[in-house]
Amino acid sequence: MSVTLKINGQGKTFEQGLPQTLAVLLDEMKIDAATVVAEIDGQIIERAAFAQTELKEGQSIELIRFVGGG
Amino acid sequence: MRCLEILDIMQKLKIADKEFDSRLFVGTGKFASNQVMAEAIEASGTQMVTVALRRVDIDNENDDMLAAIDRTKYQLLPNTSGARDADEAVRLSRLARAASGIAWVKLEVTPDPYYLLPDGTETLKAAEILVKDGFIVLPYINADPILAKKLQDVGCATVMPLASPIGSNRGLNTRAAIEIIIEQATVPVVVDAGLGAPSHAAEAMEMGADAVLVNTAIATATQPIEMARAFKMAAEAGRIAYETGLAPKTTASASSPLTGFLRDET
Repeated sequence: MSVTLKINGQGKTFEQGLPQTLAVLLDEMKIDAATVVAEIDGQIIERAAFAQTELKEGQSIELIRFVGGG
Repeated sequence: MRCLEILDIMQKLKIADKEFDSRLFVGTGKFASNQVMAEAIEASGTQMVTVALRRVDIDNENDDMLAAIDRTKYQLLPNTSGARDADEAVRLSRLARAASGIAWVKLEVTPDPYYLLPDGTETLKAAEILVKDGFIVLPYINADPILAKKLQDVGCATVMPLASPIGSNRGLNTRAAIEIIIEQATVPVVVDAGLGAPSHAAEAMEMGADAVLVNTAIATATQPIEMARAFKMAAEAGRIAYETGLAPKTTASASSPLTGFLRDET
C-alpha cells in the first residue's frame, strides 16, 4: 500500500506504508531528532513527543533546524 | 600602579533578567566553517550569538551547527530571518522556542528582498503577540525613534536599530536617528546591521549604544578570528569612552603649555 506525506514542501511516497511515528520517520531519513524541530499541519510537535506522534496519510510535515544567521 | 581589568570598569549590560559582561553580540551566518565560527565566537568574547531557522535539507546530510556552540557560555538568540510579515515571524519564533528551549527572539520582518529593510508595522504587530506569549523580544528596526518607543511600550526587552542595510558594511548611516533613540530609550539599544569595521562599532558604543551586533564584517573578513578580536576591543573601547566621558569638542585648545617658549617676548 503506497501512502504519501508532504515533507518540507515535497511529496514523499512510502511503498511499504507509513513509518509509525515521527521519531521512526526521522530515523529512516537519518536525521538526528535532537537537532530538529517539527511541525505537522501547522502544529508544533515538541521533541519529547516525537516518539508518540503517529503519522497519517496526507499530512504536511515541516522539519526545521538551526543554521548560521545574523 | 594598579592595572584595571576592562570587565571591572565596564558596567554590565542587563537585558530582561539576564546580565552580560560583553556588549558585542555576534551573528553566526556566512562563516567558512563551523570551526572558524566557533573560534571567532570565542575570540569575540561575546555571550550572545544569533542563529536562524531553516528547513532541513531532506536530500542531503545536514550539518549540526549548534554542536559547535557551547551553550553554557553563549546565550542563543534565534532570529526570525526570512519572515515577510508578522504571522511568519510569530510562527518562526514559536518554532525557535520549541527547538532551543528558550524564549528569546531577535524579531526581524524583512519583506524587501533587495535592501532587507525591516517592516515596522508588521514588527510591532508581531512584537505585541510575542510579548504576550512570554517571549523576550529584541526587535530589529529601522532607526525610527517613534517606532522604538512603541516597541518599548509594548514590552520589548531592547530595540535594535540598523546602522545601515544588513551586510552592507557601510557603518552608521543612521547616526542622527540612533542618537535620538539612545536619548529616549528606557530599554537597551543594540545597534545592529551594517557595522563594517571595528571603528563603526566603537563609534556606536561611544554614542551610548548599549551593545552592537556584528556578523558579516567578522564572518567575511580575510581573517575572521582576528577580526572578531578587533571588534571585541573596539566595542570595549567605545563603551569605556562613553562611560568615562568624552572630552568636549572645541575650535582649538593647545595640549602643551602656552608659556615658557624659547624666544624673547617682544
